[in-house]
Amino acid sequence: MQRERPLSPNLQIYRPQLTSVLSITHRLTGVLLSVGSPFFVIWIVAAADGARSYAAFADMLGSPLGLALSFMWTFSLFFHLCNGVRHLVWDAGYGFELRTIYTSGWAVLAVSALLTVIAWIAGLRLGA
Amino acid sequence: MPVRSSDDVPRRTLLRRFPVPRNFNVSPESRIETGKTWPAPVGTTRTRKFAIYRFDPHAGRNPRIDTFEIDLDDCGPMVLDALIKIKNEIDPTLTFRRSCREGVCGSCAMNIDGTNWLACTRFISDTREPATIYPLNNLRIIKDLVPDLSHLFAQYALVKPWLQTKSLPPERERLQLPEERRRLDGYYECILCFCCTAGCPSHWWNPQRFLGPAALLQSWRWLSDSRDEATGERLDELEDPFRLYRCHTILNCTRTCPKHLNPGKAIASIKKLLIERRS
Repeated sequence: MQRERPLSPNLQIYRPQLTSVLSITHRLTGVLLSVGSPFFVIWIVAAADGARSYAAFADMLGSPLGLALSFMWTFSLFFHLCNGVRHLVWDAGYGFELRTIYTSGWAVLAVSALLTVIAWIAGLRLGA
Repeated sequence: MPVRSSDDVPRRTLLRRFPVPRNFNVSPESRIETGKTWPAPVGTTRTRKFAIYRFDPHAGRNPRIDTFEIDLDDCGPMVLDALIKIKNEIDPTLTFRRSCREGVCGSCAMNIDGTNWLACTRFISDTREPATIYPLNNLRIIKDLVPDLSHLFAQYALVKPWLQTKSLPPERERLQLPEERRRLDGYYECILCFCCTAGCPSHWWNPQRFLGPAALLQSWRWLSDSRDEATGERLDELEDPFRLYRCHTILNCTRTCPKHLNPGKAIASIKKLLIERRS
């Protein structure tokens, strides 16, 4: 019997590059934001329900796990936003030179990191 | 330092490959085993190891990785020179496609150090120790570095890569203005090596239904030809959630093209043309 021919490796050996890494990060942050949106709704419902509910939710949010998750969601939001703008520009037909692809990619990473830090500094100051 | 051209080889890489298990999502017959090692001859000073994917269809065994240590002082400068040296002097069963040895035929496209390129235009000095050589990705392997390209050529045929006209043929050639001809620059140079399609993650996940960057670049080459009169029919064929729109603008294609072409831009141009047609 003829054995089936092997399939050459793809994801297992292909070098991670800014192109593919930012693409998978865009998808990943999109999923994280979807998972996070019910918590956002619970937060608003807790606020509408009154001081006790809100305090309970705020305690959860202030726990180390809550803070870590919120930080992840903040970065996800800004990354998905910035990279989404990058995709819009591409869909309009601009920014396809390899140099531009890489410059805009690094810019998206830098700007989303910066916006995350700014949002957290602002948030912690308001909270204090 | 941003990458400027597809032939920029990164000096430093955080990850050589994605952090997934070696045999992640791999069918039993495709699992890779460790093979033989051929050490360098005694007395050599400058050597480079080549870890090469091997598959023998008649052995009834799984593919393996063989490692060949090459004396660089007795070898040409290109990866293809090393492969030919191995075939001539070490293991004559090593099988690969090659023809022009100057980057115009596209036969020796393969995965070198994790990205797709032509073995004849990649300097050995730009590879790492050990240099890893795999066949083009996600294709059924006939032998060693020779993948079965039939499906990719069938996808190429699907975009009807020839001039289609309805008007009566003129007395002489169908003429084109120099600026109309210039619109084909950057698209007509494609040598169909399939480095881009083999390196496209979207094509990995939907190889049957997504046409892939090489075929779509060719499609754009005919869509943008001023003499072609089948633009409507060509667009009808492409207006499909999979054939065209499985492109998620990952742009591995543009990063890897050994002819410095831009399949990503070509696909975006097709998408734009489809939107303009609707409005």
